This record gives sequence, C-alpha cells and structure tokens, in this order.
Amino acid sequence: MADTVQNYVELHDINKNYGDFQASHQINFGIEKGKLVALLGPSGSGKTTILRMIAGLETPDSGEIKIDGQVVNHIPANKRGIGFVFQSYALFRYMTVYDNIAMGLQIQKVPKQQIKERVTELLDLVSLKGLENRYPNQLSGGQRQRVAFARAIAPNPQLLLLDEPFAAIDAKVRQELRSWLKEMIGKLGITSIFVTHDQDEAMEVADEIILTNRGRIEQIGSPSEIYTYPKTAFTASFFGQNAQLEGYQAFHTFGDVPGADKALIRPEFVKVYKLDEKQQYPESASIGTVEQISFRGDRTELQINVNGLLITAKRNLGESPIAVGEQVKVFLYRIFVLKGEEVILLENEAVNSNYFNI
Amino acid sequence: MAIKRKKTRVIPGFGLSFGITIAMLSLIVIIPLCSLVVFTAQLSFKEFWETVSRPRVLSSYWVSFSTALVASLINAVMGLILAWVLVRYDFPGKRFMDGLIELPFALPTAVAGISLTHMTVSTGWVGGFFAKFGIPIAYTKAGITIALVFIGIPFVVRSVQPVLEKIDYQYEEAAQILGFSHARTFWKVIFPEIFPALISGFTLAFARCLGEYGSVVFIAGNTPYETEITPLLIMSELQEYDYASATSIALIMLFAAFVILFINAVLQSRASKKIGKIA
Amino acid sequence: MGRKNDGVLKWTLIAICAIFLFIMLILPLIYIVATALREGFGAYAAALSDEYARKAVGLTIKATLWAVGLNTVFGICAAWCITKFNFKGKKIISTLIDLPLTVSPIIAGLIFVLTFGRQSFLYDYLKAAGISIIFAVPGVILATIFVTFPYISREIIPVLNAQGTDEEEAAALMGAKTFTIFRKVTFPHIKWALLYGVVLCTARAMGEFGAVSVLSGHLRGKTNTMPLYIELLYQGYDFTGAFAVSSLLVIMAVIVLALRSILEYKGKKESEQDR
Repeated sequence: MADTVQNYVELHDINKNYGDFQASHQINFGIEKGKLVALLGPSGSGKTTILRMIAGLETPDSGEIKIDGQVVNHIPANKRGIGFVFQSYALFRYMTVYDNIAMGLQIQKVPKQQIKERVTELLDLVSLKGLENRYPNQLSGGQRQRVAFARAIAPNPQLLLLDEPFAAIDAKVRQELRSWLKEMIGKLGITSIFVTHDQDEAMEVADEIILTNRGRIEQIGSPSEIYTYPKTAFTASFFGQNAQLEGYQAFHTFGDVPGADKALIRPEFVKVYKLDEKQQYPESASIGTVEQISFRGDRTELQINVNGLLITAKRNLGESPIAVGEQVKVFLYRIFVLKGEEVILLENEAVNSNYFNI
Repeated sequence: MAIKRKKTRVIPGFGLSFGITIAMLSLIVIIPLCSLVVFTAQLSFKEFWETVSRPRVLSSYWVSFSTALVASLINAVMGLILAWVLVRYDFPGKRFMDGLIELPFALPTAVAGISLTHMTVSTGWVGGFFAKFGIPIAYTKAGITIALVFIGIPFVVRSVQPVLEKIDYQYEEAAQILGFSHARTFWKVIFPEIFPALISGFTLAFARCLGEYGSVVFIAGNTPYETEITPLLIMSELQEYDYASATSIALIMLFAAFVILFINAVLQSRASKKIGKIA
Repeated sequence: MGRKNDGVLKWTLIAICAIFLFIMLILPLIYIVATALREGFGAYAAALSDEYARKAVGLTIKATLWAVGLNTVFGICAAWCITKFNFKGKKIISTLIDLPLTVSPIIAGLIFVLTFGRQSFLYDYLKAAGISIIFAVPGVILATIFVTFPYISREIIPVLNAQGTDEEEAAALMGAKTFTIFRKVTFPHIKWALLYGVVLCTARAMGEFGAVSVLSGHLRGKTNTMPLYIELLYQGYDFTGAFAVSSLLVIMAVIVLALRSILEYKGKKESEQDR
C-alpha cells in the first residue's frame, strides 16, 4: 500500500445485517484526504448504514473500517475525530445557537476564552452572527442546517459526515445551500462524506460518487465518469432521465449486440430536426411523431413516438417551435444497451464513419 | 465470520440505568410476584377449589361483578358525553370541568369512601332525600355502584378524548355534504372511530372497579351474601391469617383481570384491523 | 352548522355533564369540608392537633417521600433505558413496570405478606436480623412504593419516545458523559413530565389505602397512615375527626389538580414550540 495514494478512510469487506435484511454486503472503498464524497443511492440501499458505521453509530458484523490508517472498529464514536451532521440536525432544542456550537468544546474542557473565539469565528463563517442567543425553534431550516454544520466542525474534526444534509430544506433554499456547503468544505479542506438520494445533488456537490444499491456498491467514480460511463445496468438507469425501450434496432446505424435486453436513451442523446431543417447525418435519422410537449422554462421537452417507441428529447427555446402531431426527424448520437447486468455504450456508426471520412 | 461482536452503544449509561431498573423491578415487583407463584404451587387443588367455590365467595363474585359492570356502563355513557362536550363545545368553566375529571385519581379512595357513605346514609344530604321515597343507598348494591362510578369516571373520558380530538372536522363536513343528518353522522362516521377507545376505557374502568377496595368498603356495609365484595373477602381472610384462602381468592381475581385485559386486547386488534382495511 | 337544535343539544349535554360532575365529584368535597367544620373551627383544630393525627400525618409524609424519591430515580432510569437503547426483553420489562396499575391494592398487599410474612422462607432470616416488615413501617413504605411504581416512568417514556435519540447521539459523538448528556440534553425535555409524574405519585402515595391497610397492622400512632387513621376514626363514629383529617387530603387533591393543569399546559406549550 506504500506506493498508492494514502486513503484517509478505508472500508474493507464490510457486512451488516439487521435480522434477515442485508444492509451492507462486502463493502470496499477508500476515500482520499480532502475529498468531498457522496454516498448516493435509492432509499433502502444501505448508504446511511455505511455512514453510521464510519461514524461509529453502528457496528459492522464483519470487516474493517480504517480512518487515517488506523482500524477504528473498536474505537468509540467520540474518539474517531469526526463531525456528524444529522439528517434532522439533532440540534439541542433547549440550548441557544451559541451553546449548541460550544458544547463539543466545553466537553473537551477547552478554556472559556478560546471557546468564545472559536464560536465567534464559526458564527462568522456560517453567517449567523447576531443569532447566537436564539433557540433552534426560532431559526429557519437553512439557518438550522448551518448551525448543525458549525457545531459539527467546531472541535476541528478530521472527517465530516453528513446524513442527507439537504433533505429537510425546501427546494429553493436547498440550491443555495448546496453551493454554500461545497464552497465551505472546499475552504476548510476537510475530508467529507455525505449521504443523498438525489442524483443532481450528488453530481453538483461531490468530487466523487459512491453509488449504492441493495446493500452493495454499484460503482465509484467522479460525477462525469459515473454519468457518462456507467458500468452496470443499475448505474445507467439511475442517472439521467431515461427512456427505456425494447427493440432499439429500429433506429438506424447502430451496431448489433447479441442477447441484449433493452436500451436506455437519455434526452441529451437525442437531436430533433423539423422535416425542413438541415441535418448532418440524413441517412441515419428516423421519422417520428410528436405526441406531447411540455414547457420547462428554458427549454421544451418533447415526447416523440418513433415506430411505436416513445422517447424524450429536449429542444432549446431559440430553435424554431414544434407542434404536437408534427412529424420530425430524430437522430440518436448514442445509446446504452443493457444485457443482464452489463451496459454497452453504442455510438451511432454514422458519426464515427463521418468522423473518419473527414 | 468468527469475529467477536461487542455491541457498541453510542449513548452511554446503559449499564447504570439498566442495572438500577432491574434491581428495583426485582425488589418491588418480581420477587413478590414469585412468592405468589411459589405459595400458589404449595396449595392443593382440592383446597383451592373448595375455598373459591364456597357459597359466600361465589356470591361475592356476583356482587363485585354486577356492581362493577353497572358502574362501568354508566361511566361509558357519561364518559362519552363528557368527552364529547369537552372536545366539541366551548363554554365558560370548560377548563375547570376538564381538570375536575381527574379528581378520582387525586382524591384518596378512603376519603371518597367515607364522604360518599356519609352523604348517602339515611341522615345524609342525598340519602335523606331518597329515604323519603323509601330508597336506601348506603349499605346496598346501589351504594357500591355509586362508589365505583366515582372511581371510574376518568377512564372512559381520558381514553375517548384524545381520539375525538384527532377526528378531522372534514369527515363530518363530508358526511353532511352528502346529506347525512347529525345523528346519522355521529353513529356512522364518528362512533366507529371512537369505539375502540370507548371499549378500552370501559375495560380499564371495569378492571379497576373489580379490584377497588378503599372507596367501597365503607359504603358497602359488607353484609355477607348481599354487599360483600371479593377484595373485602380477601382482606378478612388475611386478617384471620388464612393466607391459603386469601391467595386462592386472589388468584381468581387476577385471572378475571387477565381475562378482561385479554378480551380488550383482542377487541382492540380487531378494531384496528377493520379501520386499517378502510384506510 | 348553525341549526337551532344544535344549541339546544349543546347546552343540554353540557348541563347533563355539569349536574353529573357536581353530584358525583363536587358535592362529596363540599360535604367533607362541611362535616369537618360542623362542630366549629375549634373542634376541627383539635381533631387535627391530636397526637395520633399528627403521627399519622408524619408517617404518611415519610412513606410518600420514600416512594416519590425511589420512584423518581427508578422512573428516570427505566425511561432512559427503555427509550434510548434497544435490548432483548424490553417489552417484558415495560409490562412488569406497568403491572402494579392492574393489580388490586388488596392483592398488592397480599403478595408482600406472602413475601415477608410468617410462611415465607425469608421470615427466619429477617427475624434473625431483627427486621420486621409486615405490620411495621417498612411494610407500609413498600406497599406505597409498589402502588405508585409506574407513575413517574409512565409520564416520561412517551415524551422521550417522541423526542427520539438524535440529540443524545449528537452529544455522545462529542464525547459527553452520561450525566452531562442527561443534565444538559435530556432533562430539559422531560422536566414538566417528570414534575407531573412526581405530583401524581405524591397524590397516590398519600392516599393509598388498600395495600397499606393489609400491611400496616393498624397500630395507632405507629403504622397508621392518614387514610388508615381516617378509617379508624370513622369506624369509631368520630365523624368530625375523620372528616377533619380527610379535609387535609382534599386540600392535597385540589393542589394536585391545579398543578396538573398548569404542568399539562406548560408541557403542551413547549412541545408545540418544538414543531
């Protein structure tokens, strides 16, 4: 291990069952120091269990958890040097904002003056100056989250764990908080892991995504990697706004995959042309009928029926409008073909041939 | 995987709190209960049966059972009305009335007992009135029933009240938009919702009434075969140091209490299943 | 909803309730006070300052303090252990804690007689050690603890269940010790419920009659609590004395009811604020 990059957090062959329910099965991964990692998955996929095991709130049935090169399985939660932000924040309801943030330092018997300096600094950092004497129930959701964050980082933990940090906040504030949190963690340079079920959130905030499903890890990688090159059928279908269809051969100029089950088409794989518009690869386009149009603010979304297969496409507002019932040309850049658990990325051969020709 | 699993509890203090809990529970509840079991095991069945089927004991069951039943039925009706009034209406003195319901829990039973007795003897305020019509209250089953009504008032009210509070007005509004009359709305929409709570309050009151001693012992007069309740009989066996007889009769009472609570549990689970199906 | 017969129905029902509660609950209270004072205030004061009356009050207070003290410690420990941890046998423990509520007070007395009385195997040891429990003060105290056993834990457990374990986990992650967590995090949640439980426990402890009656042996001035002393006076046809001592317990009951509504109101207000 000496040559490889030293991982700050490592999990080796972790298993955890609750009765008959397998919450974690052979979990293995490592996280580099300073990285912001998302544990992403649908509910019940075991992501929170992993986070709680790293924190020491749950004990794995078998396997090893290492933090900073040290096995921590038998080290109690409070000695692991972690900060934890609970999904519901778990702010102490009968303490002021100040006392909430100061509690961890008080327990460590930090001198009063130092506590005061640290809390003031943190209040400044999370822009809650002047609210230090409020109680949690007098704060908005976003403010509570920032208090929880400040409380978690007050004793200078080496690892920050966040359980669904944005779940309890309404949509508009959530967007702001996401960028705020990313910036904040970047500024502090603290290794962080957060749990989420929201793919957009994971892709926007995280340096690396660990995708979980049914107690197993499906794929680990950077957001662009995991989005563009899914390795399993689950990963491919989890991301993006997929249309699943059988009989993709109906579209022209795609290679054949023997034994394939079905294909996934993401809206960004599709280009739509009006019949009279000029098109780059006329020989590979199919003709479809627009069945439904929904307005999405900055773009429109089209449901197009191509030989009985329904696919979704996007069209920017600047392009000339299309009406329901209109016949259009549809061109696919690429598709994901699923075969059992496997995913095969098929590029449209027309693109490649063109590419080579020029 | 043969890894030894030491369960980590994150929150500290399990050992201490669990230890104190178990220690006190053993001393106060478990050991005394065990001694009841041990003592019971020493009784011969024949002796037991002879004790619990003596005519005087049999008639005490009937006195206890019939008065407890009548009192609990009165409390079921009055408790329902009280809960309704306290939840649905606003009127001056409502908070006072709500607080008053709890009086039977707060007032010692012996105090309630002598007061009710003294009021209902033929020279008392209430007893004197009824005596004009030749109706005696104290030292009759009517007297026992009154004492038990007193004891049981809070049970039904406090079980039904929270359920009634949770029933959404929209339910009733929906029923009324459909053209249901008030009475029909109550019986078809509201009553089924509160019925499980009503049963539960009724059985709790009934179980309590069966075992009640303090308030009843004064007003009952304790005439054998007529107004002698079962707990009193246990008491008099104890005063004669006849522990075998006292324990035998106590076992019958415990069995009765168990049956009542069991029936309640069955009714509750059936009722919740029924509601579950609709929802 | 503004139909005429609504108003009629409403006020009829309210009147029924008011009359019922007046006759069943208020009239007995008035009656106690009236009877206690019917021979004038002098006789009332004399009845209360009687030596045996004072001793009965003293024993009642002693038994109550024991019961409330021990049950508070027990209630907090039991509630903490049941709501903050998962372990096998939790259901059995909860059932056993609530058991004294369903047992007739006479039977409660009986089981202690069977445990410590002459036929018990413990009797010889206790006798050798010079400890008497049955027909003595320890028996009275034990009976009082038994009948009030669940009162405090029952009030705290629902509050702690609703609160969850997040805050305690957060504090434990910071390295806080048991007592710190309890004092700073948990206690503020349960203070009203705890106080309410203490009030209920006090009322029941002072008023317990049946179980204490079985265990006390009715030794005037020694093992007579207030309710037992009332019985003694009443059966001796000293009605003024009986009702005079009763009036003290009536005052206690009224205070309990007043505290109850205050504490319930405070508790409700705080839990609403949390939302």
